[in-house]
Amino acid sequence: MTSNVFRRVDRGETTIDFVGRRRTWFIISAVLIVLSLGSLAVRQLNLGIEFVGGLGLQAPNPAGAEVGEIRDALTAVGVTGPTIQFFDDGETVRVTTEALEPGVEAEAVTTLVEVTGSVRSEVSIDAVGPSFGALVARRALLALGVFLGAVILFITWRLEFKMAMTSVAALFHDLILTVGVYSITGFTVTPATVVAILTILGYSLYDGVVVFDKIDELVEIEDDKVYTEIVNKALNQVLARSLFTSLTSLIPIGSILVVGSVILGASTLTEFALALFVGLAASTYSSVFVAAPLLAVWKEKEEPWQERAQKVERRKRAGRA
Amino acid sequence: MTRRVVGLIIVLTVAWGGMAAAIYFGLTPLLGLDLQGGTAVVLTAPEGTDSELLEVATQIMNRRIEEIGAVQEPDIQISGENTVIVQLPGVEDEQRAIEAVGQTGVLSFRPVLDAVGGEIGPLAGTGTLNIDDGTGLTIEDDLEAETWLLYEAATPLEVLNLGPAELRGEHVADAVPVFDPNSAVWAVSLDLTSEGAGLFADLTAEAASYPVGDPRRQIAIVLDGHVVTAPAVNPSVSPETGISGGQAQITMGQSADSQQEATDLAVVLRYGSLPISFEVSAVRKVSGTLGADSLQAGIVAGLLGLGLVAMVLLLVYRSLGLVAIVGLTVFGAILITVFGLLGKWVGLTLTLAGVTGIIVSVGITADTYIVYFERIKEKLRQGLDIEEATEGGFKIAFRTMLTANTVSLLGAVLLWALAVGAVKGFAISLGIGTVLDLVVARLYTRRAAAVLATTGVGSHGWFSLEGAAR
Repeated sequence: MTSNVFRRVDRGETTIDFVGRRRTWFIISAVLIVLSLGSLAVRQLNLGIEFVGGLGLQAPNPAGAEVGEIRDALTAVGVTGPTIQFFDDGETVRVTTEALEPGVEAEAVTTLVEVTGSVRSEVSIDAVGPSFGALVARRALLALGVFLGAVILFITWRLEFKMAMTSVAALFHDLILTVGVYSITGFTVTPATVVAILTILGYSLYDGVVVFDKIDELVEIEDDKVYTEIVNKALNQVLARSLFTSLTSLIPIGSILVVGSVILGASTLTEFALALFVGLAASTYSSVFVAAPLLAVWKEKEEPWQERAQKVERRKRAGRA
Repeated sequence: MTRRVVGLIIVLTVAWGGMAAAIYFGLTPLLGLDLQGGTAVVLTAPEGTDSELLEVATQIMNRRIEEIGAVQEPDIQISGENTVIVQLPGVEDEQRAIEAVGQTGVLSFRPVLDAVGGEIGPLAGTGTLNIDDGTGLTIEDDLEAETWLLYEAATPLEVLNLGPAELRGEHVADAVPVFDPNSAVWAVSLDLTSEGAGLFADLTAEAASYPVGDPRRQIAIVLDGHVVTAPAVNPSVSPETGISGGQAQITMGQSADSQQEATDLAVVLRYGSLPISFEVSAVRKVSGTLGADSLQAGIVAGLLGLGLVAMVLLLVYRSLGLVAIVGLTVFGAILITVFGLLGKWVGLTLTLAGVTGIIVSVGITADTYIVYFERIKEKLRQGLDIEEATEGGFKIAFRTMLTANTVSLLGAVLLWALAVGAVKGFAISLGIGTVLDLVVARLYTRRAAAVLATTGVGSHGWFSLEGAAR
């Protein structure tokens, strides 16, 4: 039975009514979006020091210093409220604080070296002024805006305007869910995360384009079907490709996620991969379950397609009579 | 068909042979500092800084960094309108790096009017607002006025009362550290401009008129309100002429640190003043161990991902999967060569974000194969023969690949142009990967699938194209 289903998916012979059941998909998406936005409103995002400014220190811990020890030693030299995390089985310690005066910063490094029994050259340092963090964020937003504009133009030129708009709608859907996951899990949002999110935009659109390209192709061939049927047929035909693509894209990113956290603890790689993983999963879902049904609903309102719908309806009635 | 086979062999030879040759000639990709350890400093100039000044400043920074030594491939880039990103792979002393690139350095030569040792207290009582009541030191250095500055290098500590600046940084033509093997003494040899020579002669003549041992025989070299050094004029200098001719030597001493001191002083004298005062916006130092760990994680993750993707492709697409796996090695080989060449030509480094970009583009490449293979299966089911299916399928699939990869490339180019920092490295990898994907599809995949279609493996049994389509 399972192999049978697999085979039908593989051959594009499934007849799932993606557009007809849109209420279900839209409700699922709406619930997830409300959850994401709700969490954003209540918990906000855990922004990394790269955006808000601050100091991050990472050092090996051969002396096996405890959280309390490190905190007391740092507080003694004038560091207020440091966050202290261990990973790599307690062999590496990471300290995060707000931005410090240069003098205090140097003392904080020296103190950390003493408490953990490490060597100064082994300490990794991240010190970011708040204005630079704001610049990074501003530039990323600018890139996002320009990218969206360019993509709408490109898809409109290559396919059509309504496909461009529904692609972008699906893209916002994916963005909100990804940002929501960061808010809910409390994972730190770093420039790496922003990069990952921008990548998702690419993937999300890539997925959408493959589906829409198929719809475009079928519209030429199927001149006796209503738009919804064409969309359904296209989706069923690209279903195998969507599944395999998602699988082959998720595998490398999954391995970054797993390997990154095993070897490096909560590192840049992991922060990166989580956003990619969630975003990719969301984009595969949204290209099939959000963008295409939205497009179908929208296109059916067009006069030529309404006329065709009436014609098909008449023919059906005639056939029955 | 033999033409196809020959073409395929040429593509494979060029790709794999190219990589082997690149590695043989040492053209391996340059690693970014997050993969090998090092320091990065982000400097921000005031809003509206002239771009030419920024350019000059980066040149001065470059020279200063070379003076520090031990820096392999420093990378200084102007990013955006007023930001300079300095990457110093292998530099683990971040303080020294910041000093080298960030110090504005208003350099001046000043006569010493008086020196007070030991206790520091209200010294002058000049009544001006620019004197700190507690220490008696000048708060903000004014080149045109008398100042009281701490001379930290003196033992015991001294406070120097200095007259207005008589020479500035621009009067220095050159300064180099020199070693006198006879006396085993390190010194800095100073060359002055013609205008500086006259001023320096006047300054030193004045100083030479005081008896040996008098603090007024000293000339203070001041950088940004800090007394760098205050050497006394040599007893042999005539108070009539001073040190004339525009050349002088500052003797450092015989101690173990003298060489370093001479080098540092020469750097300060030569490139003393950056034309812009920068704010240090961000400092990132990655230890060598963390860098090595990150590199290892990136490689392991990449290989693991590749291996699993290869397994899935083989299972689903049978012998076509084999085409894809060989294709991924072609893709990888060209990618390594391209990064090696770009590292050599334009100093492009591979960062952690870049490695991630590559892993992501592996996903895109896999997808390209899937789009194509699905088309082949579709054609086979429509009853076309294998050769027609592989060729016809490619034509339709390539259209989709082109559209989809254009969107990815668009994203990569925009990210590269607009974003700052790590995002750039990611964008470059993604962009190269996307273009390369299309190149490999056109030159390799099409031929490989066609060749496979004619072999027995391609057309019969479980492992064949037909087997994948059934």
